[in-house]
Amino acid sequence: MASQSSPIIHFDHATFGFPGVVALDDISLEIQSGEFVGVIGPNGSGKTTLCRAVLGLMAPLKGHLKIFDCACDELRCHHRARIGYLPQKGVVDRNFPVTVLETVMMGRYGTLGLFARPAGKDRKIALDALAHVGMEGHRDSALGHLSGGQQQRVFIARALAQQPDVLLLDEPTTGLDITTQHNVVELVQHLHEELSLTVLLITHDINMIRSRVDRLVLLKTRLYAAGPPADVLKPDILSQVYGKDLVITEKGLVIVEDYHHHH
Amino acid sequence: MLELFTYDFMQRSLLAAALVGALCSTIGVFVVLRGLAFMGAGTAHAAFAGVALGYLMGWPPLLMAILFGLATVWITGWVEEKGRMKLDVSIGILYTATMALAILFIGLMKTYNAEVYGYLFGNVLAVTSEELRTIAGLSIVVIGAIVLFSKELYFIAFDQEMAEASGVPARRIFFLLLTLVALTVVISLKTVGAILVFAMILIPASTAYQLTHSLSTLTWYSVLIGITCSVGGVLISSYWDIPSGPAIVLLATLFFFASVVLSPKRQHRALASS
Repeated sequence: MASQSSPIIHFDHATFGFPGVVALDDISLEIQSGEFVGVIGPNGSGKTTLCRAVLGLMAPLKGHLKIFDCACDELRCHHRARIGYLPQKGVVDRNFPVTVLETVMMGRYGTLGLFARPAGKDRKIALDALAHVGMEGHRDSALGHLSGGQQQRVFIARALAQQPDVLLLDEPTTGLDITTQHNVVELVQHLHEELSLTVLLITHDINMIRSRVDRLVLLKTRLYAAGPPADVLKPDILSQVYGKDLVITEKGLVIVEDYHHHH
Repeated sequence: MLELFTYDFMQRSLLAAALVGALCSTIGVFVVLRGLAFMGAGTAHAAFAGVALGYLMGWPPLLMAILFGLATVWITGWVEEKGRMKLDVSIGILYTATMALAILFIGLMKTYNAEVYGYLFGNVLAVTSEELRTIAGLSIVVIGAIVLFSKELYFIAFDQEMAEASGVPARRIFFLLLTLVALTVVISLKTVGAILVFAMILIPASTAYQLTHSLSTLTWYSVLIGITCSVGGVLISSYWDIPSGPAIVLLATLFFFASVVLSPKRQHRALASS
């Protein structure tokens, strides 16, 4: 749970975008070390921009963003290495010649820095990361031969091999079947608890994460709400952001109202 | 056939071919994986324009080739980074523009210059001792840089943004890769020629790509195939008295088609779809 130390990520009235296009407007948000935060919002709401900002790939047009107490446009490579990042699932070229262990070892490269060669210690860290995601038996398999869910596990292991303080996941369940989605989110929660990782999980699947996260952040260019899931998942707030009447069922599931009426 | 090895020119050619084969096939791994195949062709034509200008003005052709090659890769890299235009479009424009310059420079020469055409088609059998020393020196620089930055080069070939986000200085490594591609093309001009150097970068790595699922194995296979084809091509060319450039490239092409037929990946796909 959130500690009272200084925030690990601190947005202070920060605006992001390109000249003439505002992707995120006047965001103020603090993320404490050890928190599990879910970021939700409709398509085009700025979720991926938030992700790129945290990675130090985008500087604010206005306001400030501090990561590890360092202004994001001054982030150096060794800071970036402290953030384990799982990008949106691209189509992995099934023929790209890389084994599972080679993929996970790449997680060590940023941490090692230029000129250093990976040693036995790095291999052990990579193998431990694979064990954490339950993929140690596949280390010599071709990445392209794995299922979508297994590939996501390998990419999470790659992020873990950085031995990060923060795990940043951009829509990790997209394109996976419902059981696999569940397994991936469960794995992330497990890693958060076991390794005391700060987790920032960007997703469309509110129902999958609402009972697992400490806080939800609801975006639609602006920050509409941030707080415990029960405070954020209110029909009036959700309808304002998603533009449709959303309701919360007795079991706490968020659904579109039409569906509710017909069933 | 063995008596061929006793000639000085033959020893020089074989050594030059082996060096260029190793060099092109090593850089080729990153070119193929990073999707820069067309860049090789564009750079080769730009470098040839540099050679032509060198001969026209009486400046050192190799130096001019390096300058033209570097300018091309840096401009295309910059254009890709800025996202102004698709990479294949910007290379296509520079490719044809530099070729036009080459034709212009050749047209401006008062007399026919066979040496310029040597750079277009390549002739490894005509490599001099001095050229061999230059090839060896530059090869050491390029292969040394690849070895030194191999882990970063592999990572940006796999996913440049992921590499950047993980703390690898991906942008600088990408420009290093472009620079190494340009140097490789220039080094290889005299041996395989501007038209065929592209094949030497592309084919060994693409052949190896068919045969393995491991990055490190792919690199070793590619180098092995590159050296075998270059040396084999030179031997074939001198034994049957045919031009060396085509002999090397056609032998490599033969290897490529054999690898496609024998590819374990192809067999895996067939199994997966059955």
